[in-house]
Parts: sequence; structure tokens; C-alpha cells
Amino acid sequence: MTRGHIPFQRLASLSRPSTPTCFTCLRQNRPASSAAAPLDTAPVESFPTHRAILPPTTSQPHSTTYKLKASVLLSRPPLLTRHLTPFEKSYFLYQRRLNERLALPFTRYFYYQRGTPGEIEWKRKVRERKTPARDIGVYNAYGSEGWNDELLVGDQVSEPEKQLESLLKDAEVEVKERDIQGEAKVVKEEVERPMPRITEADKAGDMKSLNRALQKTLFLVSAERIIIQTGGVNMNTWVVGNIPIGHQVYNYAQGVANEEKRSVLRGEKIFFMKARILAGQANLKDNQFGLEDFQWLAKEEIQKAFHPRNWNAVKNILPER
Amino acid sequence: MASQRVPSVFQSLPLRKRDFHNFPCLCSCRKASTFNGMTELSEDVDPSSSMQIPGPSEEHLASFDPIARSKRRKRPLPSSRYKFRPPKYYRGPLHPHQPPPPTAPESREFIPGPFSLPRLQQTYHSTFASDLLTLMYTHHPPGTLPGPSGPRLRSWDGSSPYHKNRPLRPPRGGPALPLLRRPITFRNIPRLEKIHVHSFVKEAGSDSAHLHVAGMIMQAITNVRATVFRAKHTIANFNLRKGSPCSVGVELRGEDMYNFLAKVTEVVMPRIKDYQGISGKSGDSNGDIGWGFGPDTVGTFPEVEINYDAYPSKMIPAVHIVVCTTATNDKDARLLLSSMGVPFYGKHMN
Repeated sequence: MTRGHIPFQRLASLSRPSTPTCFTCLRQNRPASSAAAPLDTAPVESFPTHRAILPPTTSQPHSTTYKLKASVLLSRPPLLTRHLTPFEKSYFLYQRRLNERLALPFTRYFYYQRGTPGEIEWKRKVRERKTPARDIGVYNAYGSEGWNDELLVGDQVSEPEKQLESLLKDAEVEVKERDIQGEAKVVKEEVERPMPRITEADKAGDMKSLNRALQKTLFLVSAERIIIQTGGVNMNTWVVGNIPIGHQVYNYAQGVANEEKRSVLRGEKIFFMKARILAGQANLKDNQFGLEDFQWLAKEEIQKAFHPRNWNAVKNILPER
Repeated sequence: MASQRVPSVFQSLPLRKRDFHNFPCLCSCRKASTFNGMTELSEDVDPSSSMQIPGPSEEHLASFDPIARSKRRKRPLPSSRYKFRPPKYYRGPLHPHQPPPPTAPESREFIPGPFSLPRLQQTYHSTFASDLLTLMYTHHPPGTLPGPSGPRLRSWDGSSPYHKNRPLRPPRGGPALPLLRRPITFRNIPRLEKIHVHSFVKEAGSDSAHLHVAGMIMQAITNVRATVFRAKHTIANFNLRKGSPCSVGVELRGEDMYNFLAKVTEVVMPRIKDYQGISGKSGDSNGDIGWGFGPDTVGTFPEVEINYDAYPSKMIPAVHIVVCTTATNDKDARLLLSSMGVPFYGKHMN
């Protein structure tokens, strides 16, 4: 084992004098692979009652110790692609129309045999949009006005919603049928639309749902200590790696002196472990810490919900999206 | 002189002077998080920006119609006014007529793109990259940094006087040094670099139709025109003559690469019956993982499947796919690929 592969527990013991509380804390938490400490509230563990003022100067100085804790940042990764910026939308449409001008013509008879219903459909669609591409609007790249490939102000062709509509319109098939009287009529076959990007939970403002803010990473915000003891067994979680992704140092207003060991407990160091929720939902019904509420929040919502001290500790380890 | 001139400058710029007094402690008060734009930097910077200029008026927008304007023209514009033809040949750096860069649309080498932001690419940046960093990161506490690694080349034992001043011995097993694995930080998280799709067409020597079909299928499934490779040597067993076309290949980067890998992992691989995945022994031990698909599987690519009758079924080729990553060993590359949904089976070898 190289020196770079020192396990986390040994690291903790190397960097400071041995503190029994640290190891109990870690030993309690690690086997469940779901250790957690409070993020937004005061520490769960009660403070030692014998709080003493530091002796001013002694012959042997007291060593400073910290209580080590581990916490879990439980997150749900984004499920949808993000919204494109206006620049990206216009750029992609510009490149698509350029491609239409520069590419070789569509090999029509390779894909649609002559005289087949597919070819008739193809002819009808191309007559409408003047180009084989389905999502660049009405634009004839090979015609005499092919140079006019830029959108006017207010044109919605570069919007993904419009492109989705045109793709759906392209997918639907017109079928000519004869009804009982023998008269021909055109029946359009409906195409299944994709689910909306904004869900019911988004509209209702349901902060507990995992079906909200599908474009963003969501974080479980609750005063939780251990996932299973708080969130219940109905969560399939995965702790990413054995390495904390950040830490927070929390100093007590006054250090707690331990005369036997000649040490002063200065405060707490909380290490954040990264975890992902793969399935399920938190359930506080049988939690052992008297928790009442939880929320799944995106990064900018966490900033409003958190105390600034805690926000400063986690803001740089949360992804932007 | 200078001290007299300064007040006159301030008098001529009353606006800026007021701005200046609004920020009495320019240097001491500024914090990184409260940067309010150029006005804070210096009074010499002009605070007005072209971004603040209002856009065209409603009347101008309504009257703007490039097609109508071109039709109103009595005679066509001289083509030199709007047509630029880059030189056909590059005649050296001193020639007055220089070709535009390949990124310019008027260039003869211009290839349009990108056309979208692929989903796999977005997922990599939003989810996989940070997870991979957490999984691969090795922490070195201050004061415990690993020392320099040992010498990579072996020395001579000195048993012979001729060993003096010899170059060092190469590593065991061959002349090539394996790549070093640098510590993974946020700067060098492994990512996809390129994907090679390649198909050796055995029957190309006797019937070139196989090569054409392979090229068309390759172009259909990868969205890139295939390159034809020629045999380097004459090999009688493989029916190869030197210089005869024998295979087609494609190199994918960027958008095409992400779309291809997503298609393979989400559409093609799940349809293979009793598919175990990719052998854990695959890879060149430098972070490049490869596998192959038989003709049956190539036929299930969605682009081939919708038009399956157009291809002679006996000529559908088998393809080899090599995914090149920026990881320097196969373990990291396998972790990256499996995060993207590529299954692996068996013993994992580096």
C-alpha cells in the first residue's frame, strides 16, 4: 500500500491525537455506509455538561482536539437535458441550415421505393417544408433563395418546442381509408407525445417529490444522522466512493477541557460523503431522531434554506446543475 | 501642468465624476462576490456598453424583408460583392491569396457542426465526471505527498566492463513503457476522446460490392463518411494484394461520438440475445477499450433496421469499435465506460 492509499479512519488518527469519540462516531456510521450528521441544524449529540473555561496557562499546554463526524450529501442527478441558451439555439439552427446547403442531396430512392405509400408520404411532407430536414423550418437550401438562411427577429423556428412539434408532425402518418359507403377519407394516426419537461410536482411546488426540477441535481435536506435511521428503508442509495468530498469545521463558542487527557475539545469537523439516490423516497415515519420534515432542493434553493455558515461549507462541492 | 489638467477632465465628464463618488472606497470595499461591472474597476473605463443599445425599432423590424429587397433590385448584384471563392490550392504562406481557415463557412474544408448538445455529453458533465472524480481521487494530506516514483528503466548490473555508459535497459516484456497514471484531479478526469469504427471486408478482393455496402452501412450508423483503407502488404492467406482496398473505417469525435456510444448502449446492446457484455480483458492497457459486433448485430442498428431491405443481407459487415479515452489505464477507462452503460464481464485485466 502506498502512502496515498491510507484509509480514511487511519487518516483521521494520523492527523490529530486519538479521540475516542471520533472512532465511535465513525464506527457507528460507516458499516451502514450511510453515515450522516446534521447539515442545517444544531448537532444532534448533546453537548458535554461540564463545560469549563480554559485554564489560562499551565505548565503543560492542552492539546486541541476536534470531534469527527461524517455526513451524507444525498443527491438525485438530473434526469433531463438542460435548457439551451438563446445563443446555442440560434447557433445550432444556423449550423443545421448551413449543413443543408453544403450536404449532398438526400438519397430519396434509397429510402423510399417508387410508387410505395412511403414515397407518397415523403412527397407530401417535402412539398410542405421544402427540405428533407425535419426541424429547420420551411427552407429550401438548393433553391435560388437558399442564401436567405437567417431567421428574422421573433421567428420561433430555433426553439426546441417548435422543433418538437415539427418532429411530431413528421411522425404522424396519413392513412387513406374507405368508409362503409365507399368514400375515401384521410385518417391521421396520432403519435404518442413525450412527457412534459415540467411535471405536476413542479407546478404544485411539491418540495418533497423527486419528480421535480428534472433538469437539476436535487439534494435531500433534512436534519438526518443516518439515512436508514431517518429516511427509512424505502431508499435505494449508493455512497460514491470512500472519500469525503468536503468538510466543515465548526468551532464551539468555548472549548471543552478534558483534564484526564490534557486536551481541549475545540469543536467539530464534519466530513461530507457523496451519495446518490437510485430509487425510492425518504420516509420519516419511523425515524429515530424526531425529524418532522424533509425537502428535495436544487442548489439555489439550498442557499435560501441553509444557515450561511452551512451554506459556505457546502456551496463549492455542490454541482451547478 | 498635469495637476492642472486633471480637474478640467473631471469637469468635462460630470457623469463619470459622479460615478466615482458613488464608490468612495474603490480598493478597500471590493469583494470578489460583489463585482458590479466595469464601472467599479476604474473611472477611465467607459461604462457604456454596446449591449445596452436598444435593438431595432418595430417599424424597422416590420419593414425588413431581405427577399423582397432582393426582388426589388433591377439588376443582380455583381457576384464579386457577395461571393468569395477561396483559392483551390494552397500556394504557400507568402502568396497574397490565402485560403480562409477551415472553420470559416466559405472555406473549401468547412464541415458544419455541431448541431446539438448530446444527452450523453450533458450527463457526463453533470453527473459522471464528479462521481468519477470521487471514485478515483487519492488524497494526500499535507506533508504526506508521495515521493518520486522509482526509476522506470532498469540499469545494467555491471558484471561486464562493457556495461559502462550503456543506455538503460528497457522494461521487461518489450521496448514500450506503459503510461503513467497521474493523480486524478478535477483537471484530468477521464473522458471520451474518440471512437474508431472499423470493418475489415474479407471479400473486398474478389467483389468490391462488399466494400461499398460496408461503407454505406458505416456511414449510416456513424453519421460520418467512411474512409477506405488499402492493404499494406500482400498476404496470400487473406487474399490480399498490396494496395488493394480491403477495409473501411471511421473516426468519431465530439457530437457524433457521443451519439454513437449512446445508441450502442441504449438501443443495440440491449437487443442482443444472451449478451454478456464486453470482455474485461479487452483494452490496450493504455485506456482504450475495444469490442466487435457481428453482422447480425450491425443489422439491428436503427438506421440499418428501418431500411434493411436496401442492403444485401449477405454483405452486411462485422464492425470493430475502439473507444479511446483520456484515461491512462484500462481500469479507469472501464469505470468511465461502465458509468456510461457499457457492460463488462469476466475477469478485469489492466
